Amino acid sequence: MRTTILLVVSALILLLLRNSLFVVDQAEQAILVQFGEPVGSVITDPGLHWKKPFIQDVRRFDKRVLPWDGDVSQVPTLGREFVLVDTTARWRISNPLQFLRSVRDEQGARTRLDDIIDSVVRDIISGTSLEEIVRSKDWKVDLKSLEEELITRQDVALEKPKKGRELLEQEMREAASKLMPELGIELVDVRIRRINYIDSVRAQVETRMISERQSIAERFRAEGQGRSSELLGEMSRELRTITSEAERKAAEIRGKADAEATKIYGEAFGADAEFYAFFRTLESYSTMGANTTLMLGADAEFFRYLESTRRRPAGGR
Amino acid sequence: MSRPNEHLAALFKVVRGGNGSDSPPRRSGPGGVRPDLPLGLIGLGIVALILLWGALSSFYTVQPEERAVVKRFGAVIATADPGLHFKLPFGVDKVQLVKTERVLKQEFGFRTQNVEGDRTEYSQEDHPDESLMLSGDLNIIDVEWVVQYRIADPMKFLYHQRNPEGTLRDISESVMRRAVGNRLGSDVLTTARVEISNSVRDEIQEAMEKYDNGIRVVTVELQDVVPPAAVQPAFNEVNESRQERERMINEATKQANQEIPRAKGEANRLIAEAEGYAIERVNQARGETVRFSSILAEYRASPEVTRTRMYLETLNQVLPKVGAVYVIQNGQTGPIPLLNMHQATPTVVAEEAR
Repeated sequence: MRTTILLVVSALILLLLRNSLFVVDQAEQAILVQFGEPVGSVITDPGLHWKKPFIQDVRRFDKRVLPWDGDVSQVPTLGREFVLVDTTARWRISNPLQFLRSVRDEQGARTRLDDIIDSVVRDIISGTSLEEIVRSKDWKVDLKSLEEELITRQDVALEKPKKGRELLEQEMREAASKLMPELGIELVDVRIRRINYIDSVRAQVETRMISERQSIAERFRAEGQGRSSELLGEMSRELRTITSEAERKAAEIRGKADAEATKIYGEAFGADAEFYAFFRTLESYSTMGANTTLMLGADAEFFRYLESTRRRPAGGR
Repeated sequence: MSRPNEHLAALFKVVRGGNGSDSPPRRSGPGGVRPDLPLGLIGLGIVALILLWGALSSFYTVQPEERAVVKRFGAVIATADPGLHFKLPFGVDKVQLVKTERVLKQEFGFRTQNVEGDRTEYSQEDHPDESLMLSGDLNIIDVEWVVQYRIADPMKFLYHQRNPEGTLRDISESVMRRAVGNRLGSDVLTTARVEISNSVRDEIQEAMEKYDNGIRVVTVELQDVVPPAAVQPAFNEVNESRQERERMINEATKQANQEIPRAKGEANRLIAEAEGYAIERVNQARGETVRFSSILAEYRASPEVTRTRMYLETLNQVLPKVGAVYVIQNGQTGPIPLLNMHQATPTVVAEEAR
């Protein structure tokens, strides 16, 4: 009998303990709720805690930084390109009481976060040009490498963005954070995880990249041809210079030699001009050959003795 | 050793005392409880099981690459280094083991499939969502990379952020896109690789420190950084054309190298020839003048005879060689052929014609 009573009593005590002792995990914070109404302050210390049994309920909330992952959404930018934007954010439950009242639990919070962050992201992206979103505030163009490739792109300005990615992300966080206090949430950060063209735009961009590359390739080829022509031209100039200089020198040398020969001839032949004429004429006669027809006057010196061997004056006819 | 033993002993005592208190020891003796013996055995068995559970749950081992985080009633009370450790049994103390010494890895844009054997195999599957990104000049680039990290602080890793590894993944993607978006596509493909991996590592680390999640980024390594597949042939074309440019320039240089020395040689030949001509001409002149001078000296001795002799000698030489000789008489119309060397037998016809 006493055993039974003892058993019942200890069971009751256990039940009581079970209902008045609770564990708050290191990762958690908790609120006690009495008949649906939060009581007391937020329990943030992990460990064993007491509550009034049966009438108080424990609501637990994560204390840690929590991830939020947005849906990939298709948004037009200021330049009317459609891009796919995937955002990610981190948040924490900063005011569990408020959190409990406004969204009840994480699922409720998530749907609210989805609405708020998605719309903020859409607003900001659609009011910003794609360059601004892609680049950051420390953007700088290495002009040297541009010269190397000589890309002349009309569609992309290479100036420094006015805001840049970090500032946009910060703006997103600030805009979204405005609504957070009434949810009991602190938004730690909002980040653009991925941003990309939609498929149809991507195909266009790829086509553009291809033509850009092809024009660079074309330029390289033309450069090769140009350089080659230049080299060949230089070569031709050099060849002509070499040849003509050599010809000039040769002519000079020949001229000098001719002059010298003339001088030599002049000096020697000048001794008796009349005899030289005779001598030289006879010499040139001896070059006559088989295809020469010689016409001689009948009274030529040669025939003088053909008619008679009478002595005649040698010089006369 | 002593603490859990004491604890067990105390527990045992409590269980025994409980039994003893609800009935005096005399009654539980051989008297009335004799038929209840199997019940006592069951009780003993239960006690033994509880003891066993207590014994088994009162120690834990931490492997060399691990650290343990010990929680008592949900609150972290200690972290433990590798080795054998004791704790409160029956789930009062809970232990979480975290591999702190191991360098962990996240892959972006590709997946390692099999690291067994001599070669690492990679999955053929592409992950374009992860790897395709925009460069600062709004071109598309396919970047694959690896983030290596360690869990430096297990306590922070477990209790400062939910799913810190997922966060690491998100942040890595975000930071890599920012870094690539802040440079020209051509730089990303070529010169900026090292710079990017360093700045991305630092930036991820900064973010992790902001979340205070105990992750330490060891390194960020860029793997394949390529233009998108559709554009790759065009990129190859650029490389080819660059080669072609070099080839054309080399060919022109080669031609110049061939022709210019040849032309130089040719020029030297021209000059040498001219010099040869000059020497020849002067020598000829000298020779001829010497000959003339000596003949002149002879001629001066007896001019008339020499003149006639020279004249006749020359005609003697010339006449047999010439094709035809015509003699023209003053007042006569047609020339008279004197000699015709082309006829089979040369005949002197002058006399007959006359």
